Amino acid sequence: MKRSILFITLFVVATLVFNTDLSAQRRGGGGGGNRNVRSSANSSVNRNNNQNANVNRNVNQNANVNRNVNVNQNVNVNRNVNVNVDNNYHGGGYYGGGCCYHPVATAAAVTATAVVTAAVVGSIVDRPPAGCVTQVINGLAYQQCGNTWYQPQMSGTATTYVVVNAPR
Amino acid sequence: MSPSENPSKQLYLLTPTIPSGSSTTANSILRLTTSLVVTAFVFCAFIAPQVLAETGPQSNSQASSNIDPDAMKALNKMGAYLRTLKAFQVDSEVTNDDVLDDGQIITDTKTNTLLAVSPNFLRAELKSDDRDVFLFYDGKSFTVYGKVENYYATVPAPATTAQLVDKVNDDYGIEIPLVDLFKWGTDNSTISKITSAFDVGPSTVQGITCEHYAFRQEGIDWQIWIQLGDYPLPRKFVIRTLTDDARPQHTSNLVWNLAPSYNEAAFAFDPPAGALRITLKGINGNGTKSNQ
Repeated sequence: MKRSILFITLFVVATLVFNTDLSAQRRGGGGGGNRNVRSSANSSVNRNNNQNANVNRNVNQNANVNRNVNVNQNVNVNRNVNVNVDNNYHGGGYYGGGCCYHPVATAAAVTATAVVTAAVVGSIVDRPPAGCVTQVINGLAYQQCGNTWYQPQMSGTATTYVVVNAPR
Repeated sequence: MSPSENPSKQLYLLTPTIPSGSSTTANSILRLTTSLVVTAFVFCAFIAPQVLAETGPQSNSQASSNIDPDAMKALNKMGAYLRTLKAFQVDSEVTNDDVLDDGQIITDTKTNTLLAVSPNFLRAELKSDDRDVFLFYDGKSFTVYGKVENYYATVPAPATTAQLVDKVNDDYGIEIPLVDLFKWGTDNSTISKITSAFDVGPSTVQGITCEHYAFRQEGIDWQIWIQLGDYPLPRKFVIRTLTDDARPQHTSNLVWNLAPSYNEAAFAFDPPAGALRITLKGINGNGTKSNQ
């Protein structure tokens, strides 16, 4: 009798753990593959207005218009590449940085497939591979993964990891 | 449709679509490059008519008739009132749309808490499904702390909250939640850019009687619910972005506390046990050297 109660308890606990795991995995979208976010809703009206103000001002000077507008676009493109703004939904579920800011820079895709062996310095990933060791050098945190060093950085309000040369 | 909507719509139509499931690195680069070229072309083609439209007498008379002075007055009154607040705490329930490459919208839900003391104390918590981030500002330095990873980044900060909200956005791409609250009623407010304004009528938000206003300006349509009576506080915002064909939307519901209890120490970041310092990435790709 006691033993069966024990089994039932174990089963319930296991079910709970399993369920928790499932729900944790669901965040970020199922189905596999990356889903790239091409834009997000503006969350302020004054900020948006400021950008428009620049565009409007430029309109009066025909010669400068195109150049200036291009500059604005460039800023956006840089953001995508550098990953401050671009969001990806990963099929895999939970990633340390949060569901919505999975900045994978162009170089990062290379890193992800090549993994530990030869990560390109300067490439950026959402999180380092498993088994890295935290090191603190000159007051700043690093993740050492074999011969590869990842430096965590705050990108906007998300943490990303950039591959750096060994800091010491 | 205002003439200003044309460029964005055309931009999207002309941008080559990437077949689903093949968003590879090469494609991204190709797409970025193509977008740049297309953008330059589209703006060349559309700036000229826009200049005509903006200088033409017809558009001027049309613009003024679209603006209800009472709606603008309500906005100004709210702004002036916000500037009188010495301290406030706002809890906001936020939904924000992200648009995927194929135009599908994914709505993200967040809870933000903002505690501000004029002129130079700010503390915020930004909580989403798998993130819990704190912002600290004490008039001297600004810190972003990610509770999940237990990492923090600290940089020197300007002297006032009004300066801070611009600096962290421009330098680090960090948008302080409800940043409009620090803009309205100041010279930095850009309500002069509004092209259409009207009073929708009374509306109840979370049991509070408000007046509901609708505005249009370049790139966005937005609505605000302002509390009626002696405390003209914004109780709800809805912002619809028009520059993407999918028209993603942002919604904030605000709960106000005008007499928050706080301790000045709450605005200075004190690293929790085990928290590690990292750098705050500059928006132009230069990892800022955290001042040590």
